[in-house]
Amino acid sequence: MKKCLLLGVALATLALSAPASAELKFKPGEDSKFTWSNYDDLKNVDLKGETLTIFGPWRGEDEALVRSVLEYFIEATGVDLKYSSSENYEQQIVIDTQAGSPPNIAVLPQPGLIQDLASKGLLTPLDDATADFVRENYGAGQSWVDLGTYKDKDGTDKYFAFPYKADLKSLVWYVPENFEEAGYEVPKTWEEMQALSDQIVADGGVPWCIGLGSGGATGWPATDWVEDIMLRTQSPETYDKWTKNEIPFNDPSVVEALQIFADIATNDKYVDGGAAAVAATDFRDSPKGLFSIPPKCYMHRQASFISSFFPEGTKLGVDADFFYLPPFASHADLGNPVLGGGTLFSITKDSKAARAFIDFLKMPLAHEIWMAQSGLLTPLKTANKEAYANEALKKQGDILVNASTFRFDGSDLMPGKIGAGAFWTGMIDLVGGKPAADVAANVQTSWDAIK
Amino acid sequence: MANSTGKSFLGRFGVHIAVLVFVTIWTIPTLGILVSSLRDKDQIIASGWWNAFSSSSQTEAGRLPPASAQIEKDGKFVIEGNIFEEGQERNISAFGLRSAAPTEYEAGAVADLGDGVSLQLDEDGSFVMSSPVAFEGERGQRVYYESSAPPRFTTENYETVLFSEGIGRSFMNSLTVTVPATVIPIMIAAFAAYALAWMRFPGRALIIAVIIGLLVVPLQMALIPLLQLYNGVALFFGVPSKTYLGIWLAHTGFGLPFAIYLLRSYMAGLPRELMESARIDGASDFEIFIKIVLPLSFPVLASFAIFQFLWVWNDLLVAIVFLGSGSDQLVLTGKLNALLGSRGGDWEILTTSAFITIIVPLIVFFSLQRYFVRGLLAGSVKGG
Amino acid sequence: MAAQILSAIITIIVGVGGAVAYFWGANRLLDIIFPSRGVAGAAAIDNLRRQGLIRPWLFIGPALIILTVYLIYPVVQTLWLSFHGRNGEDFVGFANYSWAFGDREFRNSIFNNLLWLAVVPAACTFLGLVIAVLTDKIWWGTIAKSLIFLPLAISFVGASVIWKFIYEYKGDGQTQIGLLNAIVQYLGGSPQVWISLPFWNNFFLMVILIWIQTGFAMVILSAALRGIPEETIEAAVIDGANPFQIFWKIMIPQIWGTIAVVWTTITILVLKVFDIVLTMTNGQWNSQVLANLMFDWMFRGGGDFGRGATIAIIIMLAVLPIMIWNIRQANRESGGH
Repeated sequence: MKKCLLLGVALATLALSAPASAELKFKPGEDSKFTWSNYDDLKNVDLKGETLTIFGPWRGEDEALVRSVLEYFIEATGVDLKYSSSENYEQQIVIDTQAGSPPNIAVLPQPGLIQDLASKGLLTPLDDATADFVRENYGAGQSWVDLGTYKDKDGTDKYFAFPYKADLKSLVWYVPENFEEAGYEVPKTWEEMQALSDQIVADGGVPWCIGLGSGGATGWPATDWVEDIMLRTQSPETYDKWTKNEIPFNDPSVVEALQIFADIATNDKYVDGGAAAVAATDFRDSPKGLFSIPPKCYMHRQASFISSFFPEGTKLGVDADFFYLPPFASHADLGNPVLGGGTLFSITKDSKAARAFIDFLKMPLAHEIWMAQSGLLTPLKTANKEAYANEALKKQGDILVNASTFRFDGSDLMPGKIGAGAFWTGMIDLVGGKPAADVAANVQTSWDAIK
Repeated sequence: MANSTGKSFLGRFGVHIAVLVFVTIWTIPTLGILVSSLRDKDQIIASGWWNAFSSSSQTEAGRLPPASAQIEKDGKFVIEGNIFEEGQERNISAFGLRSAAPTEYEAGAVADLGDGVSLQLDEDGSFVMSSPVAFEGERGQRVYYESSAPPRFTTENYETVLFSEGIGRSFMNSLTVTVPATVIPIMIAAFAAYALAWMRFPGRALIIAVIIGLLVVPLQMALIPLLQLYNGVALFFGVPSKTYLGIWLAHTGFGLPFAIYLLRSYMAGLPRELMESARIDGASDFEIFIKIVLPLSFPVLASFAIFQFLWVWNDLLVAIVFLGSGSDQLVLTGKLNALLGSRGGDWEILTTSAFITIIVPLIVFFSLQRYFVRGLLAGSVKGG
Repeated sequence: MAAQILSAIITIIVGVGGAVAYFWGANRLLDIIFPSRGVAGAAAIDNLRRQGLIRPWLFIGPALIILTVYLIYPVVQTLWLSFHGRNGEDFVGFANYSWAFGDREFRNSIFNNLLWLAVVPAACTFLGLVIAVLTDKIWWGTIAKSLIFLPLAISFVGASVIWKFIYEYKGDGQTQIGLLNAIVQYLGGSPQVWISLPFWNNFFLMVILIWIQTGFAMVILSAALRGIPEETIEAAVIDGANPFQIFWKIMIPQIWGTIAVVWTTITILVLKVFDIVLTMTNGQWNSQVLANLMFDWMFRGGGDFGRGATIAIIIMLAVLPIMIWNIRQANRESGGH
């Protein structure tokens, strides 16, 4: 029986294993919106016979996108590049670096986790020229350099992580035609948004789709909500203190932000499926409610990447659009703050190829390839904005490059055990009906426990 | 024993019913994903799988062609066509022009869009939109409609999963890991179990105690020390640290305590006279083991083989840590876990891949089942 | 792909062949160095004695080496780590242990683990026994047993997909595609998010393990039941005992030892189980268990090996009494030889 089975498998696999030859998404030299001179420069870098392993958070459709960028590096340099990811990549990277078998490059979206690795001496610092490059060529450059600077094993600050691919978090997605048909206007202030929510409820609809489910990371989408609200009710300095625990987590300012979110998420009339569905719905599924007929909800607050989870064939700008999560009229002095996130590349095992790859990321081309497809925003000023696949992305890119107050996702700045643990659990408790003050006190207790 | 209880017809009937209830409860979850994996992907989320045989109705949206498609006819501007692509026709029962009221009009009715503009949508999807003045804009009118689709079963999901999601590769990886990781521990454990059951040497009782004690070691905690060891060895010899040999030995190590425990208690139960008469005939322990004990232990070896096979095949953690999580190295469970994350809500992908991972262990189990029961019978009953 | 199949077959042959070569070669070597046949009587007896001294270690050697490397060394390492800080470098004494018992999440895990220990082994054994008794009485019992045994062949990840599908939740009034909520809605109730219901969610997770393990209990208990001598039961029937009396007074005491073994095996499994919790809830909604908590501390958010190791040691200590009981059983039994 086993022989039959093996034979069957052999036949099946032979039939389906088409040669995985490198296919470049856009042919070099063809479209002038790409900086092709970079590609020619890249060809001078000879990495034949070198191997480069990259471990990143992108899986599924995102993996296809990142691979399309990597193909150019492979094709030009001849390097043997292996990209891998894992559903529990945060645990995986700890296991691998700790045991001494790290990839060459680790891509992580959490500065808190990178700090952990850096302080254990598991990362190789990048050179000063790279830090200078980021400072000069990135929108709000200094804040990106600060973001990549961590204390090493001896407690000295060093530049460890190169930012590539940013996400804009302060976005509310909606379907323009649903708004038109119902006669709703895009709100300009938080108060207007509140009034709109009540209007939608009065019309028999549901304003919000919120989904916190994310497997082992369930709860994180709510942390973005709270951070956005923090930035809209408190000064950026208070925000910074909050992420460093210089003000306690149960400070009244934080509790207030938690309460504002809870008032939306635990109101059965405000969220699709009722409060109970919030924590149970997968974050990748929740935007689908916008596109249901009749719509299950009218608004969905989520970072820019979410558009890759919209139903097949959705055209941004036509079938779906976004507006900036509005500020409070009552806190007009805070301007239009922007909350973002992003992925940071750090070298976990030094090699010539790893250095060359970091240099590749400085090239506009590396950004443009992904920009021209979807999902990637870049603060790199030298990247050609015309490369964005559509107007919507370009609009987001502009918000990012021109940001006045830009703050990184707070939960990612906190120590891993808080930002990727107690804070998430707290959010689940919060939407489960636990009072905001208790939730905040619990998170602070956990924070005290790791000091 | 069969006739000792429940002689009455009612009692027998009750037993049948009770067993039927248990069997139903135990099989329904698996049946659910089997049925779902064979359904059309839109229908999976439109109705529960227990309704798979009745037709389901769906509400969808379509966009009419933009103004550029209009023609002038009898002084009116008209856009005509069919909302369905060829070969995808369905029966429309109702349609509407607002998302909030997608079934406002019955199929074939004429909807009034105001300003003399009208739209008629027929059951087969053909539409006529006409207006006294020319249409403008690049965005076509949106139409919502409810259509009913007959139940549809398909192998498309299997094709998608097998051909585009890289399951074939993972399938081979799983086999390459599982076969040696099943055979090697059996051999090592069989020899050790014989020694512990029938040979006399100092420290035997202690070794037995230690092996039973090791049954409880949670393997998660062994991961980091072992991976460090592997990396040290790999660096010393200049070889990669994540290899098939490495994972075979790891599975062997984690499976050994149970294997030795099970085999030893079975072998200890074999008749003493057999060994003694062989020994008098001048056979060495090696010959006794190969010629007498091994053939007699076949049932317990088979049942351990099933256990170990299922365990290794179904393992996720050891594979990810010792083999890696790149798409070249992923085993089936790893692949499924990755799909669980990246395709969170795509039930057609999840149910299909779940069923694919189940199918091999099921075949192995059903083909070796009779040995399994016999082996466990001997081993465990003795254990009490 | 063809190359992979080929290399797989070659590696399989090398791996398995290597093990065969060792056992056969080593024993052959022993026979050649200390020949017991074809030599004079006194020398043969001498050589036989030497063989008897060496051969057990040839048999058990590979197993001992592998066990030492793969299990004993990690246990020692873990014990050492549990007295050290998060990087495994600075000695902290019992600080990790005192932290553990003061930690809310840890206490929650202990409570949940106790729930699991109280429910799962008992439920599996009880259901397994009932099904074993019932299926013995009917002609299609073997088929029924196979179907109930089937979940044991399914991976925890696969089982998680299956049960997520059962527990799937859609808002009130929408079409439910999760079976459980569909039934609840059909009966007029309102759908629930089963895996986030405080306290009760533990039971919805346990159901999965019970579903998997009942088949195991059933097979073993059914085998033991067949071992009960017919005469014992017939005698009871003649004495006028009813079926329940036979079950409780005759059958249960006869197979008591087997019940204990089943119970122990499942208890150990419960303490080690983490896949189900990881994939279904990852310990959220207060459903954390020790094994998953340990994984969490070891690998999540940078990792704290000291605390992770401490939890691992506590899990092992918790099972120790059961193990000592088992070792006693094993020694009593091997005393006969």
